[in-house]
Amino acid sequence: MTAPLVNLTIEGRPVSVPAGTSILEAAKTAGVLIPHYCYHPGLPVAGVCRMCLVDVEKAPKLMPSCATAVAEGQVVHVHNDKSLEARKGVLELLLINHPLDCPICDQSGECELQDYTFQEGRQDSRYREPKRFNPVEDFGGDVLYVPNRCILCTRCVRFMDDVHKDAVLAVGERGDRAVITTAPDAGLTQPWASNVVDLCPVGALLSKDFLNKARAWELDRSASVCTGCSQGCNIVVETRDNAVVRLKPRANEAVNAFFMCDEGRLNYRWLNRQDRCAVPMANGAPAEWSTAIAAAVGALNGKRAHVVANASLSNEVFFLLKRIVGKTGGSVKFDVPQGAEAALPGVEDLALRADRVANATGAEAFGAARTEQPYAGVSAGDVLVLVDVEPSAVPSTALNAASAVIFIGTADPSGLSKLTAAFPIANVVESDGTLTNLRGRVQRFLQAKAAPGQARPAWFALADLLIALGEKADYATASDIFAALATSTPAFDGMSFDSLGLKGTPLAGSMAGAGR
Amino acid sequence: MTIKVKVLDRPIEQVSYVRATVKGLALTFKHMVDPHKVTVQYPDERWDISPRWRGTHRMLTTEDGKAKCVACGLCPTVCPANCIKLVPGEDEQGNRYPLVFEIDEFRCIFCGYCQEVCPEEAIHVGRHYENAEYSRDSFVYDLQRLTEQTHPVCEMWDPADQKGE
Repeated sequence: MTAPLVNLTIEGRPVSVPAGTSILEAAKTAGVLIPHYCYHPGLPVAGVCRMCLVDVEKAPKLMPSCATAVAEGQVVHVHNDKSLEARKGVLELLLINHPLDCPICDQSGECELQDYTFQEGRQDSRYREPKRFNPVEDFGGDVLYVPNRCILCTRCVRFMDDVHKDAVLAVGERGDRAVITTAPDAGLTQPWASNVVDLCPVGALLSKDFLNKARAWELDRSASVCTGCSQGCNIVVETRDNAVVRLKPRANEAVNAFFMCDEGRLNYRWLNRQDRCAVPMANGAPAEWSTAIAAAVGALNGKRAHVVANASLSNEVFFLLKRIVGKTGGSVKFDVPQGAEAALPGVEDLALRADRVANATGAEAFGAARTEQPYAGVSAGDVLVLVDVEPSAVPSTALNAASAVIFIGTADPSGLSKLTAAFPIANVVESDGTLTNLRGRVQRFLQAKAAPGQARPAWFALADLLIALGEKADYATASDIFAALATSTPAFDGMSFDSLGLKGTPLAGSMAGAGR
Repeated sequence: MTIKVKVLDRPIEQVSYVRATVKGLALTFKHMVDPHKVTVQYPDERWDISPRWRGTHRMLTTEDGKAKCVACGLCPTVCPANCIKLVPGEDEQGNRYPLVFEIDEFRCIFCGYCQEVCPEEAIHVGRHYENAEYSRDSFVYDLQRLTEQTHPVCEMWDPADQKGE
């Protein structure tokens, strides 16, 4: 059931939006950003900051655009003198007690107070009294509270109340003494609590992990997908000097709304690990790529391949593995590490899932078998192919039974016995590809940094191996492979990198995003 | 074919060296008594350099001898030559400070943007030109070197006082 459309004019532009939409959201569709602090599309409307005041013709006073619904024939002025004057006043009042510490504030460069003051605030303050001072507080978890910078928009309070459903934050005191306080003996240790850091429009709530690490303008940002669990939250990978320094959620209404869990957020250090497999190896010694591939082909000649793969690898990799075992015989197996499930109560179908891998659904779509014992059943003479698994986790019984071991991975494989060939591959933030989440939504991740040494994307190495095995696999990019798998796999029919976009598409017949 | 050179037979007063020598010596002796000197007896004497001279850097310090820098990252951002290396850190009191602050003076183009952009008035370009070193490495000034230097610093162009009067 869709609401009837309402026609109005915002800044001279005609807009048609469903009835019940706020003026602020309607203005967004017209490409007009109305400055705001307390409003956030993922939170209930509070209307406390008074920043989004706009001039609506025939209304007696300025209207808060976040809390005013559109009406037929409305004429809204966002940037006329009356509303600019109002916003200038709001900004001046907000800055009365806001310290001038942008040089040492982590939010600097991505701060909405900084942006709007620069755009339309006063040049200087008329306030001559000393500013209010409150010491920095540790809110527990990964969150630090700097009360001096707080503008009391209450986004964090509403997130903990209405989305996390664990009301540990509140506004304490009154007037200019007001600060955000935690409930007695409670802190922000909940599994999704660090989202308040992203929600905070200023530098009042800071991530301890990111504190003083980098400036916002130094970071390079790439769209990606979190591989921490099978939910597949959309994220932005932020890198500096070819190292991941921070992960942030990326809005996707069908998967994670605006949020990501703390476990996924802080689980990025492995992406920068230094003990990487960086050069190809043949028969235990560093070699050229061609020599390593030839060694792998020699080992696979006439033997069955027992492939154990990490189920966080991309759809493209599982498609190529399926083709490899189709040629050599054998099977692809994966195991799924388990963890505690932690749901975000305020968002439907969003949780840190028990399955702590990103692409179990995709792996199964390409014939890989989910098992708790992926190394069981290596019969004598099989070639054990390890794809992005930890070398230390491989049981010696499997190594002993195998005739040869081919390692395709990111970790240093030099401890493995019977190592015939090793292919260094790029990890998830160093290559392109797609992942399928537990609801069957296929989502793209993009390259964020360069791979070390001679490492190549896994699909590149596997396509070379296929060619060496005598198959046709002349893929130049990950999107070529995706096009090939889309034509040969019914569930992916009609998909391409372009059609997936950055928000993904559900598999044919899956339930992805059906709830919302 | 031989080349024939025509030799002019000039009068003696034109070709004699005596007149030129006397003229030259006259100039030399004139400079010995002339008060208007151009040459400066460096290093005993030095020119006054402009208050807006932009030479090698100096980091100013607070009263307790610590660098004023808060590692905001504006100078490496604004630097057109990309010669400033900055790694921020946090001290025992929770204050932000530079763990590493290095300026490669070879790469520096002495534009003075770093001084202009600094919100803490910490980094300055110096009124100083004696920069010789024994090794190339010593031209990468670290934080200790930058704070220990004592030469005067540049007075930036002031829009209110455009001619520096």
